[in-house]
Amino acid sequence: MSQAGKGKLNYRCPSCFMRDLDIDMFYDKEKKEYYCIRCQYTGTEQDVLEKNEIARFRYKAMQIRYTKFDFDEPD
Amino acid sequence: MDKFIVNIIHRPEMAPEYAEKVTGNGKKEDIGRKSLLDESLDIFKIQQEIAHKNGLKTTIQMTYASLFCEEVVELAKQDHEMYGDEIALSLLGLPCKEFREKYKTKEFCIWMFSLEDKKAIVDDVFGKFRNIFGCYPESTGSYYLDAELINYIKKTYPCVKCAVATCWEEGPKAYHTCNNSWYTFMDGGPWAPWIPSKANTHAPAADEAEDSGIVAIPHLSRDLIASYDGNGSNFGTHPQNILRGMIYDTDTWEFPYLYNLIDQYRDLEKYNNGYAYNMVFVGPGWMNKMGRWEAPYELLKKSYEDGLAYYGNLKKEGLLEDMTMAEFADHYRQKKTYQEPECALWRDILYGSEKQLFWYCDPYMRACVNMDQGGAIVDLRNYAAKLKWPVGIGTKHITDASYPFLIQEKYRAGYFTHYAGEGTIRSAKVAYQGEEADLCQCRTKAHFTQDGKNRILTLDPVEIEFSALKFKVQSIVSFEEGSSEIRIRRVLSNFSDPAARVSWKEYMVATYGTTEYPEDMTGITLGCDGRESEELLQYQYQCRIREMAGAEKVWAVIPQIDTKVSIETDNKRAQGYIQEGYAFSPMFTLGYSIELGDKEEFSTCLRLEKEN
Repeated sequence: MSQAGKGKLNYRCPSCFMRDLDIDMFYDKEKKEYYCIRCQYTGTEQDVLEKNEIARFRYKAMQIRYTKFDFDEPD
Repeated sequence: MDKFIVNIIHRPEMAPEYAEKVTGNGKKEDIGRKSLLDESLDIFKIQQEIAHKNGLKTTIQMTYASLFCEEVVELAKQDHEMYGDEIALSLLGLPCKEFREKYKTKEFCIWMFSLEDKKAIVDDVFGKFRNIFGCYPESTGSYYLDAELINYIKKTYPCVKCAVATCWEEGPKAYHTCNNSWYTFMDGGPWAPWIPSKANTHAPAADEAEDSGIVAIPHLSRDLIASYDGNGSNFGTHPQNILRGMIYDTDTWEFPYLYNLIDQYRDLEKYNNGYAYNMVFVGPGWMNKMGRWEAPYELLKKSYEDGLAYYGNLKKEGLLEDMTMAEFADHYRQKKTYQEPECALWRDILYGSEKQLFWYCDPYMRACVNMDQGGAIVDLRNYAAKLKWPVGIGTKHITDASYPFLIQEKYRAGYFTHYAGEGTIRSAKVAYQGEEADLCQCRTKAHFTQDGKNRILTLDPVEIEFSALKFKVQSIVSFEEGSSEIRIRRVLSNFSDPAARVSWKEYMVATYGTTEYPEDMTGITLGCDGRESEELLQYQYQCRIREMAGAEKVWAVIPQIDTKVSIETDNKRAQGYIQEGYAFSPMFTLGYSIELGDKEEFSTCLRLEKEN
């Protein structure tokens, strides 16, 4: 295999992202997969996108629009 | 009520840090590559257009590289004339062919050069700016500006009145997120504009004598919960930071979180005499045509358009005033006094919890109270020490510009520890018939009031439940402007057994440091002062404890950070204690214990002082 490069976008490792690490992945053209040089994650673009959705599990309020920022009783 | 103020800043960076350094792009580094220069210039133009389209003026922070580009210079002059944009000078964006040839280095962080080089570069850049624009700039900045550099700039170029001077909580967390390759640390500063002291940029000036002469603004306005726990570059008023954090809907490309973040900053006017502030500062690398992280260029651009449209609409509704940095500096000086604190009662707007923190910052301290832990103080910095902490090559702190903590619950465990030892926290414990509870176990909410010079947090009462006793505890935490003190009052009530008495302990576990790793505690002295006697412990990791009935004060002197911290009470029944840590738990504890019953209360005062 020749040296790996980037894919069409600069995908980060979803596994590392979930532990607050931003690591760009490399793309293996022969295996058609992204791989992380820090941990053991490998995955197709589809898998990366799915795992990125999973990484959002903690953002339960991501779609909420807040209008009140304290816990005081209304006047 | 004043209007909400925003500073929007653009920098024509000719070799944006992210556009050039892209992993595995297959090109040899060429900082003068024409395609890079063209792309960067295009991005700057787009950013300016988006701001103006939304009726917003900007501060154009010229970079060293852009001073060599006639097109940028002309564009800046035009936008200054047409839109009232300020032409300022950034000390970011140093990398370019000319800089590297002249200074023979790839260093780009002005605060980490030697002081001699800092001065030479500043003179070089300011001189070039004057040759081009006919005057020196009124505003400048970088990710961080150390006190020595600010003092030099103000002395040599007195017209400078405003500077971007820190990134809030960009320390070990940013370092880790960047795979331990982001070698600069600047935790422990203010999250909102302040007047830096001459001694230490992070510590606000207490009076005119300490005033460095500039108004400092933070690089971005960050989420005061999310950025404290995680990577701050995911949670700020930088639309592409929200994308970096993946806080957007992948189908609709919508990101309500950014608007919640802006609105929560607007809401802070309630705690700051009607004043609220935001800062937006997006470098061109974040909107590069190759996309950034998973986001394609179209999404990057949309996020900036939507973000500035939100500010633009607030302006149209009369709810926002856009200012240049220099205009803001004048406004700030008119609006704020040296002693007036910055306060932020902040709720979680991302995880969907009701977690709430209170941040307090004045010339004597920065403190964080955590309502999810019963009102425990979970972060504490002693600004009263006005610690001299030069940074850069040739100093003891080449990369570490952080202001040291006494308490930092993330780096030093906080309430929860594994197996043994204690983490840094200021809380209280209660025991009854062999059972014990800590207020850190009690989740509650706080309500803010201001009474003259006192900012008061009144917490909703929490319930303590033992096998044979139930009762309520209310905590009231007060910060008196200019006092260097935090007063904590506990009020006990509703005892299920009115005759019962509980053992109460007010305590503070503390240490010192700027990172996650422990420092040498040798040299620290712990003391317990009585009316006629004194107990002392020289720190030797021996786990010793000393107690004194009726102690007036318990204290610690930490010479490494010129700090004295003490707790005192006027309750004569209380017994003071000091406790040394051990190698596995390099902390110290200051505290008071007392027996309390129904309808009784106990007050203590934590004080910070300079000691050297």
